Amino acid sequence: MMQRRPTSKRPRFGSKGWALLLILAILGVSIWVMTPSGSSVLHRQEGNLGLRLGLDLQGGTHVVYRGVFDDNITADDKSRAMEAATVAIKKRVDSFGVVEPVIRKLGSASIDIQLPGVDVTEALSLIEKTAYLEFREVELKGSSVATLGDYLSENRTTFFNNSISGTRNFYLSTSQEPVAILTVSDNGSVSYTDLDGNLLDTATLAGSAAQSWMPALGKDSDGQEVPLTGAYLTSAKSQASTNQTTGVITWGVGIDWNSEGWKIFNDIAGRLYGKTSPQNDLGIVLDSELISYPTINQKSYDSAEITGSFDSKSAHLLAVQLTSGALPMPLEITYGPKSVSATLGADFTHRAFIAILIGLLVVGLFMILYYRLPGVVSAVALLIYAIVVLAIYKAIPVTLTLAGIAGFIVSLGMAVDANVLIFERMKEELSAGRTLKAAVDVGFSRAWPAIRDSNITTFIACGILYWFGSSIPTATVVMGFSVTLFIGVALSMFSAIVVTKTLMMLLAGGGFAKRLGLFGVEAKAEAKDV
Amino acid sequence: MFDFAAKRRWFLLTALILIIVGLVLAFTPGGLRLSWDFRGGFQVMLEPNEGTTIDTVNDKLGQLGYGGVAGGIQETGGNYLIRMGDISEDERDALKAGLGEIGTVVEGETGFISPAIASRTTRDAAIAVSVATALMLVYITWAFRKVPHSFRYGTAAVVALLFNIAVTLGIFSILSRLLGWEVDPLFITALLAIIGYSVNDSIVVLDRIRENKARGIGADYDGLVNFSISETLVRSLNTSITTVLAILAVYLIVGGPIRSFLMALFVGVVAGTYSSIFVAGQLLVMWEHGDWIKIIPGVSRLQKNKA
Repeated sequence: MMQRRPTSKRPRFGSKGWALLLILAILGVSIWVMTPSGSSVLHRQEGNLGLRLGLDLQGGTHVVYRGVFDDNITADDKSRAMEAATVAIKKRVDSFGVVEPVIRKLGSASIDIQLPGVDVTEALSLIEKTAYLEFREVELKGSSVATLGDYLSENRTTFFNNSISGTRNFYLSTSQEPVAILTVSDNGSVSYTDLDGNLLDTATLAGSAAQSWMPALGKDSDGQEVPLTGAYLTSAKSQASTNQTTGVITWGVGIDWNSEGWKIFNDIAGRLYGKTSPQNDLGIVLDSELISYPTINQKSYDSAEITGSFDSKSAHLLAVQLTSGALPMPLEITYGPKSVSATLGADFTHRAFIAILIGLLVVGLFMILYYRLPGVVSAVALLIYAIVVLAIYKAIPVTLTLAGIAGFIVSLGMAVDANVLIFERMKEELSAGRTLKAAVDVGFSRAWPAIRDSNITTFIACGILYWFGSSIPTATVVMGFSVTLFIGVALSMFSAIVVTKTLMMLLAGGGFAKRLGLFGVEAKAEAKDV
Repeated sequence: MFDFAAKRRWFLLTALILIIVGLVLAFTPGGLRLSWDFRGGFQVMLEPNEGTTIDTVNDKLGQLGYGGVAGGIQETGGNYLIRMGDISEDERDALKAGLGEIGTVVEGETGFISPAIASRTTRDAAIAVSVATALMLVYITWAFRKVPHSFRYGTAAVVALLFNIAVTLGIFSILSRLLGWEVDPLFITALLAIIGYSVNDSIVVLDRIRENKARGIGADYDGLVNFSISETLVRSLNTSITTVLAILAVYLIVGGPIRSFLMALFVGVVAGTYSSIFVAGQLLVMWEHGDWIKIIPGVSRLQKNKA
């Protein structure tokens, strides 16, 4: 015989007691997780049975962004920029762990975004940031640093250091935001604007001591002097470092350049190294804000970190924005954020839950009518199964989409199936004249290989589907399905082998043992134990 | 006891024809049409007039000849978001004009939407399914290693799975041709469910054969398979009936928006029952006898005549 038994053939009374205790403990913890409370442990604070529902079932928040382009951009460039922006936004949203968002290009210049959930402020702020990373150094006027006041008093139409093109950003040491951004166009006209591109009245800026920062250029492998920007990044990770003496933890974003990026970076470092302050400061500028200006105190570097006033969250956000790539253009909201109904239709959720409930009832009723007492036992086992699975969904938490619910239902089907297999075997053994106890025991061990093999096959499918789903950001339907199916199948084995078996063994020990009619079998005159 | 093995030719022939017909129907032009999720489409945002409800919108769409999109209408901040497949410039104008009678079309949020799902997903899905099937084959072959020719058992299960998928695709492509049903993410989900689940039925039958063989049941291999199938028949039917009942319950209550999902599941379950009884076991018998040629009708008579 090649049966494998999960437990010994004749469990002692003690093991039955322990199994029952284990079931009750698991059930207790599950119900405790499911009951809403003020505590955020295991997400207990959430209502609605604590289940997070996806955009397709419950709806969420709807926003439409429009890309802000120059008037003279070609249609080709525009469509390329929109593609890049859509991809970057997808990456950013995915990094937030948002399940099955809708991110689609709408028309020629808009992006239609729907996110599950209502509290999406944080996600939106992540999406909106252009995340244009550049590096700057101070501009000199003679031997001192040029200021905004210098530019205005001389009414300049060219830069002090005219060999470096690009804008000039003027910063005071008290703020990350620029006081003004100076653009000089080819025809010699100058404009001073604020962060949002609004023209500034130069009269109010006169005499400002804000320092002028110009793009930091370094030589690339062709010997060309080019500005260092986020385009050369290969990775960005948030990281914490502890000050050895004070013990204070500071957060930053560790970055890695590609080989070209390192060449430019170290060329800049070599040029700034050893100069007098502040000429040896390298300004890190994100979306025109000077987030920090560390001093270059080495000739060359093999690791780089963006420092500034970060906490773990803001460092993580910046890392995500940098990794997903800068948006090629700024975005403006043209619609929303407004709440939006389920993509499957406005009242879908309600009907879906009734459907699941009725489906469960139908299955339970069938099991009871066909298998009698064991059917009742399996209905109880399925109820326990459903409670434990839902509690796990809440605790992880799993966002349920329709695909996820499909996974749950399939796993439920497998749990029922395991019970059917066991009961059919049990009936055969009872008909062959074994006692109830022996029949339960043999029924389980005979059904086990089939349950094991079919569940493992399903696990294999799950694993591959999950891997497939995670390798493609847009195949999230597949991932939702495989996650819930995996959890469900793992638990269905537990349900059939531990819960149903323990309950059946308890019954077999009780007064039912002689009333085989309850098990759907004609009573035999003399039952023989094996 | 019904002699399944004696009729194996016909069962396997039917299965073979269904697999071929299913795959041909599915992969010839017009068979599986992708929904706007994959191809992109046209989106209209409608600010409703006083008294316009989602029912009014549905009625209007029906009048305009777009009845099928019902269910995909979303409410967003008091407006309605309507999506459909890609339509021509003229059709867009006609649609906007028609909807204009019951509300105001919000131009900024109306236009062509690009697909949310990358087109390469389809190809990668095929790769994923192939890898999963191959691993299943390896596992079942290993799990049945104590039975002679365990590779046959793995193959039988995988062929049964192929049958289930081919039949589901075939039926769906017929619905696609007749009623214009489209392959949407829900249909993909249902296919995944079939892949994850339907092989179980076959494994239960194969497991019985494995067990009964070890116990030395049946005069010959045909008898062994017949006996094992008869033993598992009740269980196979019970499981299918329960599942089909549950699917029907869900269809009656939710219906519309997820019909493609439920339909695929339904077909998958029925096909799974057929293949576990009439394909997996019969394939083993056929392999045991090595008389593959007999699958073709008339061949056995020809051979007899020769003799």
